[in-house]
Amino acid sequence: MTGRERLLDPTGFDEKAADDTLAPRPAGLRGLTIGLLDNTKPNAEVLLTEIAGELQRRYGAGKSLMYTKGYFGTPAEEDMLKRIAKECDLVVTAVGDCGSCSAATVADGILLERAGIPTVSIVSDSFLVSGRAMAEVQGFPGFEFVAVRHPVASLDAEQLRERVRDVLPDVLRILGVES
Amino acid sequence: MSRPEEGGVALDDALARFRDMMASDGYTLSWSVTGEDRVVVRIEAGEDACADCLVPLPVMEQIMSNALEPTPYTLDHIVLPAK
Repeated sequence: MTGRERLLDPTGFDEKAADDTLAPRPAGLRGLTIGLLDNTKPNAEVLLTEIAGELQRRYGAGKSLMYTKGYFGTPAEEDMLKRIAKECDLVVTAVGDCGSCSAATVADGILLERAGIPTVSIVSDSFLVSGRAMAEVQGFPGFEFVAVRHPVASLDAEQLRERVRDVLPDVLRILGVES
Repeated sequence: MSRPEEGGVALDDALARFRDMMASDGYTLSWSVTGEDRVVVRIEAGEDACADCLVPLPVMEQIMSNALEPTPYTLDHIVLPAK
């Protein structure tokens, strides 16, 4: 080994991270670029695409950009988060439907908010506790995220659209936009 | 699994609800009391457990500490499945 290896903290936490202030909210979604952070869990990409479509059709949001994490169980790598923050005006990240990935999905949301990007993390309601605990570990106990009815992985296209319709008001509320 | 409570929420009631969450990923959750008021939580992997899905230890400690708040007990430590 030629040098120190960097270990990835599964909590995404470091001593600098204690800011519990949300990024500034947009006045509306018209023309804004939507970042979609796919954690590679089954149906995450479809769910995110459906949400982006709704935001574009109903609220005039701009283009969407899909980003795919390398591993669902830890927060996205710093380089990816920086790229998202540079290229997008808001982010939706999904789907936390297991213990580690629900925690990581919430951590991604917090890290992006700290980078100045309004972010909606989507976690299945079976893993709300895991998401909330991660928010506390991150020093952001009041961080709000969306709970989608469990399960997500086994749903067909119509069932996913129904889930999206269910959570859309919460997505808009967290983004600070009136539905 | 736990001693009778003298006040606050019963230990079993406080922790049992997390069984379902852990079971969703194929894990079983159990606990025991050590000393006067300390709790050891044990997580074991079932045959179909998702190895990558286990909640990170700091998050699990936060979950269990929060769950124990309304009880007379505090978390001693968590035993995770052997890798």
